[in-house]
Amino acid sequence: MAIFVYTNAQRPQRFWADLFSRLDPLLMASASLAGRALVSGIALAGITLLLTLLFGRVWCGWLCPLGTLLEWLGPRQARRRAPSETWRAIKYLLLFAILLAALLGSQTLIVLDPITILNRTLTTAIWPALRYAVVQTETFFYQFPALWGPLDAIHGTVVQPLFQEVQPVFSLGVLVALLFAGLVVLNWWAERFWCRYLCPLGGLLGLLSKLSLVRREVSDQCALCARCTHQCPTGTIDPRDNYRSDPAECIVCFDCMTDCTREGVAFRWQVRPANRWRPARWRDYDPTRRQALAVLGASAAGVALAGIEPITQREPATMVRPPGALLVDFSALCIRCGACVRVCPTQGLQPSLFEGGVQNFLTPRLVSRLGYCSFSCNACGQVCPTGAIPPLALEEKQATPIGLASIDQDRCLPWAHNIPCIVCEEACPVADKAIQLEEVEAMNALGETVLLQRPSVVKELCIGCGICEYQCPMGGESAVRVYAPTEAGGFLGALPEGI
Amino acid sequence: MATPPSEAAYLGVARGPDPKAITGAALAAIGGIERFVKSGDDVIVKPNICVDYRTYEYGATTNPEVVATLVELCLGAGARRVRVMDLPFAGSSETAYARSGIADAVQAAGGEMEVMNQAKFRETQIPDGQDIKSWPVYQEVLNANVLINVPTAKDHNATRLSLGCKNLMGVILKPNQLHANLHQRIADLTSLVRPTLTVVDAVRTLMAHGPTGGNLGDVRLNETVIASHDIVAADAYAATLFDLTGEEIPFLKAAADMGLGTLDLGSIKIEEVVV
Repeated sequence: MAIFVYTNAQRPQRFWADLFSRLDPLLMASASLAGRALVSGIALAGITLLLTLLFGRVWCGWLCPLGTLLEWLGPRQARRRAPSETWRAIKYLLLFAILLAALLGSQTLIVLDPITILNRTLTTAIWPALRYAVVQTETFFYQFPALWGPLDAIHGTVVQPLFQEVQPVFSLGVLVALLFAGLVVLNWWAERFWCRYLCPLGGLLGLLSKLSLVRREVSDQCALCARCTHQCPTGTIDPRDNYRSDPAECIVCFDCMTDCTREGVAFRWQVRPANRWRPARWRDYDPTRRQALAVLGASAAGVALAGIEPITQREPATMVRPPGALLVDFSALCIRCGACVRVCPTQGLQPSLFEGGVQNFLTPRLVSRLGYCSFSCNACGQVCPTGAIPPLALEEKQATPIGLASIDQDRCLPWAHNIPCIVCEEACPVADKAIQLEEVEAMNALGETVLLQRPSVVKELCIGCGICEYQCPMGGESAVRVYAPTEAGGFLGALPEGI
Repeated sequence: MATPPSEAAYLGVARGPDPKAITGAALAAIGGIERFVKSGDDVIVKPNICVDYRTYEYGATTNPEVVATLVELCLGAGARRVRVMDLPFAGSSETAYARSGIADAVQAAGGEMEVMNQAKFRETQIPDGQDIKSWPVYQEVLNANVLINVPTAKDHNATRLSLGCKNLMGVILKPNQLHANLHQRIADLTSLVRPTLTVVDAVRTLMAHGPTGGNLGDVRLNETVIASHDIVAADAYAATLFDLTGEEIPFLKAAADMGLGTLDLGSIKIEEVVV
């Protein structure tokens, strides 16, 4: 858990940033299926799979950061009666739905993966809100100049390095926080509710754990005291079954061992001799064939419904993707993990709502009005675990268009109001400016003749970074806006040969 | 500030291949750093670090050696601390400070880089302002004992040249809202901030496509540093490096009309040295 917080906390942190996403076999499988290519780094997920085949759901018990967080946030003993055991099937059914959708090329459902949930919650809700609270408090105290000495020291050593200069803003932040709070609150209904009943990754690892080598075996030395039953976070120790547990539900946390009155004797983890090993039996609560088929059908139907979204026919203008994303089948490879959103230095990358249809829910897009694509940065491609945003070298990224700026002459100060400006041209980072200026003399509203510079975009040079839209002094809708490149062929802004 | 010793020039210009040497020489010509910095002073050096994607060879940001030399000189004169800062309009302060080379140079010289904290900007009255009467300004810059303005002389598509007065736009918030009447507002800003000393870095001058540049072919190696207490005069001299006069730069004319300095280079004592 500590590693996860570390990798998520520091925004510029790249080296470890996608570690947990790569370890997650559900993410890697889904991306590889939908993207029709083995995602690089998939070997790490193989380690998790191997661990599971050997020892069972150790990921859930020891590695999963969401599991750890849910374990900490919740009562030790749930007070209500837990839901019916048949609910355990939900996680398997969700798993089937996700995998079939991925097979059919859609990763829409991968937003249910626990790593993406935690990543998203930290990136779009918890961390920004924490920063906001800290900075507002700091600002309050900065009203008193006498305090500036110590405040500056705190700011320089703690606030600035941790939180950087940009306040992230996300319209989905409240929703994401509420959903996460909902997951936590469910712990009061049953301990580790998500892990037990809902988590599709738990479902995947659970199925594999039915084949695990090392299992919890109960001996006849058991005192039948039922202490372990009450300790078990997933409630899988069954008094009616001689206090045995289902390896698919057991998260190998060893909590049952700590209070056992016959510790070390009543049960232990061991390998059954080869001639006595067989897969764990299918339980009553495990999905039936009918349930599985129904869910698969629903998943396929969902993918079909997604095909009705207008994006399958017309590119929407607002889906400006991170640099390089246009070079790959982005929606099929993106696991909606939010790593790119987290590292973007201007926090301009935002998880989409439905601008690109349901099939692009929570995929990143650049909202230039909130944050431009920084010319000196290529972080998003460095952290993307699946290569949905390919890792471009900086010079390559600086020559890769992500959109085209467009000046609204009914809003732009020199065009519509004969007032000087050209902040957009000033900000344009391309060496041969992608905004050119035309000098005209005009009369302003006061009747004075003024010499104006009127901007227009040079299509061949514009890379769509959006700093023009960001810096434009017009409030609300900027007078220069970046739209997604929607023209086919050579109309895309691209550097002419030789530059 | 103290009146200059009678033999000190009004404006100093030094030329030569070594930025450190010419910075020192330009200052010496106008009476040395001791004229401006007293023991125990809190000094702020304000270079141009406007973007985070150009290294200093592109002439868009101030030469790090010039900045570091000023830091050393101030510390040598007994300054309590020397802080260096700017608010870039592209990129974060930290990446801009690093890319410009100024962070490394300043730290080696014993100064501190300060990231300008949003909380220390305040809406400040501009009593002499003709177009703008108030603007959010970084309070540290107004409170410091000594403010040394270190612009880089360069072409600018909106104002024709970016020099000392223009450089002051780095100490305010929402600079993008000045452009509706940019020249007068720059002069208004200058009337408020009034740096103690202006040192114009003309070691490399960006001759076209400013303020962000990007073509090394547009950069001319001028190997010059200009120093004066009078920001308008320093800028007027710098304009001559672009074959322009101060009168032709509207923000300079506006500043001169407001009495913030002199454009008449013929009427002041200028000392030019070659190092």
